[in-house]
Amino acid sequence: MSPRTVVPPTALLVVALLVAACAGSATPPATSDPGTPTSAGPTSAGPTSAGPTSAGPTTAGPAAPAGTTSSSAPYNGTDIAWLQLTVAMHERVLPMLALVPAQTTDPALRRLAAQVEDTHRAELAQSRKLLDRSGAPRTNPHEGHDMPGMVTAAELAALGTATEAQFRRLFSRHLREHLGQAARVARAEQKSGADPATTALAATVARTASAALTQLDHL
Amino acid sequence: MDGAAPPNGMRRRLRLVTMLTALLALLGAYAVAGRAEPAEARAPIVRVAEFLADCPFSHRLPDDPIIYPGLPGASHMHSFFGSTATNAYTNLADLLNSNTTCNPRVDVSSYWVPTLYADNAPVEPAIVTFYYLGEGVRSDIVANTQPLPLGLRIVAGNARATAPDSTTISRWSCLHAGHVGASKDFVNCPSGTMLESYLDFPQCWNGRDLDSSDHKSHMAYPVNQACPSSHPVAVPKLRQVIRYPVSGDPARFRLASGPGFTMHGDFFNAWPEAEMLRRVRDCIRPVIKCGADGQPS
Repeated sequence: MSPRTVVPPTALLVVALLVAACAGSATPPATSDPGTPTSAGPTSAGPTSAGPTSAGPTTAGPAAPAGTTSSSAPYNGTDIAWLQLTVAMHERVLPMLALVPAQTTDPALRRLAAQVEDTHRAELAQSRKLLDRSGAPRTNPHEGHDMPGMVTAAELAALGTATEAQFRRLFSRHLREHLGQAARVARAEQKSGADPATTALAATVARTASAALTQLDHL
Repeated sequence: MDGAAPPNGMRRRLRLVTMLTALLALLGAYAVAGRAEPAEARAPIVRVAEFLADCPFSHRLPDDPIIYPGLPGASHMHSFFGSTATNAYTNLADLLNSNTTCNPRVDVSSYWVPTLYADNAPVEPAIVTFYYLGEGVRSDIVANTQPLPLGLRIVAGNARATAPDSTTISRWSCLHAGHVGASKDFVNCPSGTMLESYLDFPQCWNGRDLDSSDHKSHMAYPVNQACPSSHPVAVPKLRQVIRYPVSGDPARFRLASGPGFTMHGDFFNAWPEAEMLRRVRDCIRPVIKCGADGQPS
């Protein structure tokens, strides 16, 4: 920092402020901002100077759940997030299920994979439909990378070149993680979601995932 | 004040007026000098529009109350700073009633990033600083900066990035080793230095929504030093600076979201409105560098 001048600048600043204060209300303090509603309290410190914004923020209430969107009345933030997540998770597991016929001759595993694929395709179609109805985007900013329960591109590649024994072991592990995570977030949606059709779908997903997990345990 | 004045106050007052006159004369000279050389004249004031909060690590959870509200365990692992209460269910009222790791203690906002892993073990930062800046827009816009609205949620960076590209906003560098330079992916920091991440949040608000369905479209970055007409309200630019106590071969590192270029940050504003307004008024608009207490530093 630069050295101080002879008179301590802070002392001068104090005098300057005193003088400014004594000058009366006609002279605003030097730092006051013409764009700021100085008469308003901090609670109404909205962007009054910019655009058509006399109204406060639309989701300002402390009780508003995080992620609420105004354009989709029956849906809350949890509904949207769960639908986006379910689309991402179900889409991600389908390529792994598609590897099964080529990678194993085990009839029980093939049957389970086919059954999971059926339920997943139906749930995926339903999720997309509900998401479209909500008006929210089909994807969210976080999906796609190393999410819990999601098989990664590297893991999928490894499955494609695995021996049958390796495949059975890896496939079972990845499917178990996927189904466990699908059931976990579906139960959370049942608890915290708002849209009846979406919570009903969550109940279906929780049930089918749990049933498939039980079958997987008995393979 | 007058009531406390002694009987011979008149003479004292006269003397005071004389002193004040002398001081004012000095002040006049000072003001002229100040105009000529502001840095010299206002020695204690640094002309950078800034205030900050230092918020050490609080906790780790696979939760995200912005992206996955109400869905515990739905997210990749996050490291949380600031509010000690944040989980998947957190709303503004929860934050306002929570404790915080931040200096200043009044900042009960929540900040979170994907957890960094070194050799598959989580690493928490040694230094976490959130700067609130008046920069990136013209000076007349800085002078009209509006407070960040209470309850605003902002996400910066791209967790879904599949490669570093022109949209990658986050930067990696080394603390105390500037010669290494900044990169969109992890860098190899010399032994004894720290890996650090910089991330600037969008600073133009649409003036209406505290969040949006894609969690991004209510905010925008400036274009040509100004906020676009769709997002006309300039708010302080949040700059997240995180220092990790690791160095060396970046092949050992990964984020919970993937490679280094997937670095992102989430911010849920819970600064008390009066505290935010005071800092915007005293630090950002007049372009004064303030500390955590919102006073010139």
